[in-house]
Order: sequence, then structure tokens, then C-alpha cells
Amino acid sequence: MSTIAVEALTKRYRTVTAVDDLTFELAPGRITGFAGPNGAGKSTTMRLLLGLARPDSGRATINGRPYAELRDPLRHVGALLDPNVFHPGRSGRTALRIAARPAQIPGQRVEEVLHLTGLGAAAHRRAGGYSQGMRQRLALAAALLGDPETLILDEPANGLDPDGVAWLRGLLRRLAAEGRTIFVSSHLLAELAQTADDVVVINRGQLVAAGPMADLLEHTGASSLEDFFLGATSPEVRPAPATATRARSLS
Amino acid sequence: MRSLVSAELLKLRSTRSAWIPLAAALAAAVLAVIANTSAGHAGGPPLSPAALPELLRASGGQLVDGAVLLAWIVLSAGEFRHRTSVTTFLGEPNRLRVVSAKLLSAMLTGAAVGLLAEALGAATSAAALSAHHVPLAWNHPGVLGAVVTVPLLAALFGALGVGLGLLLRNTAAAVGLALMWAFVVEGIIPALTPEPGIVRWLPEAAANAVLHGASPAAAALPAGVALTVLAGYAAVLASAGAALTARREIGTASG
Repeated sequence: MSTIAVEALTKRYRTVTAVDDLTFELAPGRITGFAGPNGAGKSTTMRLLLGLARPDSGRATINGRPYAELRDPLRHVGALLDPNVFHPGRSGRTALRIAARPAQIPGQRVEEVLHLTGLGAAAHRRAGGYSQGMRQRLALAAALLGDPETLILDEPANGLDPDGVAWLRGLLRRLAAEGRTIFVSSHLLAELAQTADDVVVINRGQLVAAGPMADLLEHTGASSLEDFFLGATSPEVRPAPATATRARSLS
Repeated sequence: MRSLVSAELLKLRSTRSAWIPLAAALAAAVLAVIANTSAGHAGGPPLSPAALPELLRASGGQLVDGAVLLAWIVLSAGEFRHRTSVTTFLGEPNRLRVVSAKLLSAMLTGAAVGLLAEALGAATSAAALSAHHVPLAWNHPGVLGAVVTVPLLAALFGALGVGLGLLLRNTAAAVGLALMWAFVVEGIIPALTPEPGIVRWLPEAAANAVLHGASPAAAALPAGVALTVLAGYAAVLASAGAALTARREIGTASG
């Protein structure tokens, strides 16, 4: 079972602190929602986890190691950060074949993930002609290529129609039931509430709360995740101090 | 490394703006031989067995080098333009390994296209010289030199393309700079400096010296020295591109 751990992670861009002494650990085999207002530092945290950005201090690890030190990372971690990471002139199938090569993932697996994400019929078409939802599915297919035990997904429901959102919910549920650890950010709090077992909420780069969804709502008396989120991230509420946030991280 | 090189070559095959210039350069290799043999027959110096090495160098000459340079600028800078760098570096987080794979692929491409251009040039030369009743002299001392230098030069231009693309990360800027350098900068440098001989140390003049042993502005460097100079430019650009790629953040708006 895989784990994701973030320890005192800090990332600054000139005068802006995008991620500020952030600490949390995800429970393996569960879906953890990652929520926060725009600019809270969710995407930066995910890029730090995936080794695409370097922290100023702190550590972000997957199975105890930084992403860059994982052997064959695609077989351990699947990531969707942005649906617009495919060359518009290449077909969906070719884009996946290119992504599969470094891990020597066979062509049969490419066909499987194309089928799994509903892109089988459009696989020969150029990615530049895909709708936003199709590009999102293609990015999800790329994340699933290595059949990884950990998935890190940044706003995977963006651009999906209601059927697509329901399909994604079912897919994530099924993958979590297989024991995979899923870390998913979203602005769709009602959707996140339906999908996630646990939740990590950040604001201005700092941890606001982390824990099982049900416990969080029960302890705070909030009627819904949205209710809790709006209360916890309003401009008047300052994020909890670092010592407290560590104590509130998931066990 | 083999799987990374395989991925890079698949990127080349699936990017039209990269392989079309290469195909065009191969077509130009044939046309260059036809033009040179026709000109020789019509009014230029008479065709002779000694023309074969020069025909081979012309077929695999600057158009091939330019096409290989362009292809690898497009492929390297394009990673950031289209943000495919995200999937590339998720698949292989060791960025220097990715850059090495790009360099190796670019040099392999250059060598292969250079050889193919020469093969096409040789076949066309054979047909053209035979048509003019000129005996073919495959054992002419210059033939082996052409066979070796043309692919080597194209391989170095591939590495230059990767270095320039990674350094600038902007396809239009990198292509523009390469064209500007070849057609403007090297042309005006002799007028701007009291040492016009300096131009022979510049990339385009060095490439000319390797191919034809001639430089328009000054005495050419010996071919071996010119090749070493070009290898130096390729190494400097590739190292700078690699260092920048290793340091920069991936997945931001600019990359």
C-alpha cells in the first residue's frame, strides 16, 4: 500500500509563498480530496510531489522517497496535472505510446487505457481536435498507463460532462477499492464530498484541516463539505499555526 | 536509455513540422545533384570523375544540416510550447537522462539523414554521370571523406538544434535566431571587426569549411579543426540547455 507524505513543505516564488510549511500524510488505499480556494497552493503542492518543482524546504515523498528517486515512476504513480499536455498534431494513441515508452509499457496497455477512458473510437484522431473533456480523459489514460498504486489528479473532472463526472466517480471508487491511494484536487466540493473518504483543505499555502470527511464534518458541526470549506477558508479566518496543523494531519 | 531514445524518435516521426523539413532536404539532395550535373554539362566546368565527391557533399550539404537543426529545434523547444515536457519528465524524472536521449536521438537522426542524402545523391550522381558518359570513380580519395563528413556534420547540427531549443524553449525564437545567425550575423561580422579572419571560427563558416573547404570571407579552417570547432559549439549549447532544463520548473505556464 502506497503513502504520500508532505513534511514542512515550503515553496516561494519571489515574494509569494505558494506553499507554507505544509504537512500532511495520506492514508493508503483511500481517496483523499484536496480542496482550497484558487491560488491556495494545491497545484504547486502536487507539482512538488511529482518532482516538477523544487521545494525551498521540507520534503514530499511517495512510498518514503521523492518522486525523482522512484524506479520506473510511471509504474508506481500516475499523475494528471493538466489536460493540455499533448502535442496537438499527434493522435491520442501516439501520445500515449510516447508516454509509455520510458517505462517500456506495451502497446496492449495503451489500448486498454484508451478503452477504459472511452477514447477507443477517437484514438486515431489528433489530440488538437479533442474537446476539453476528451483531453481530460486522455490525460487520465496517461496517468493509468503504468497501472500505478498511487494516483495524483489535479482537477480531473474539469471539462467533463455530467455523464463523464459520474463515470470518473465510479472509476476512482473502483480504483480505490483495489487498494490504490488516490489524491484528487477539485473545486467541485459536492462532487468531492461524494467521492472522497478523506479531505485535506489548504488556504494561502497552509493547512486548514485534514482528516476523514465524516470526522471533519462531525467535529466542526458543518452541514456539508462546502459549508465547512467556506467557513474555513473565508478571508477572515487565518490558517491554523503549523504546530497545530501537524497534529491534525491524517494518521 | 534505449527506451528514451525510442520515445524521442517516435516524437520525431509523429511531428510533421519536424519530419517534413527532413523529407524536403532529402528531395533537395537529389535536385542538387541534378542541378550540378546539368550546370556542369550546360556551361560550367566539364564533368569529370573527380566531380563525384563534390556532388556527394552538395547532396548532403547545408540543406540537410539546416533541416536537421530545424527538426530538433522544433522537437526540443516544442516540448515547452505544447507542455509535453510534463509527460516527458513524469516518465523520466532524471532530466539529464532525457536531455542525453534527445542529443543521442538528434545525432542519430542527423547521421541517418546525412547518409540517406548521400545514398540518394550517389544514386542520382551515378545516373547523371553515366548519362554524360563520365566514368564513375567510387575509389576517388574524396568520396570516403564526403561519406564520413556529411553524416558527422548533420549529427552535430542535430545536437546544436537540441541545445538551442532547450536553451530558448521558444520554437519561433530559436528558429529565428538560427536563420538570423546563418544569413545575417555571420555576414556582417567581418565588416564590424578589425579581424575579419575571426569569421572562420563561426559555426556557418566552420560548416562550410568541413563541407567544401571554403569560406566566403577568409581562409577556411582545416576540415578537422572546423569539425572540432562545431563540436565545441554543439557541446556548449547542449550543456547550457541541459543545465537550464535541470534547474527550471516544469508544468508552469511557460513550460
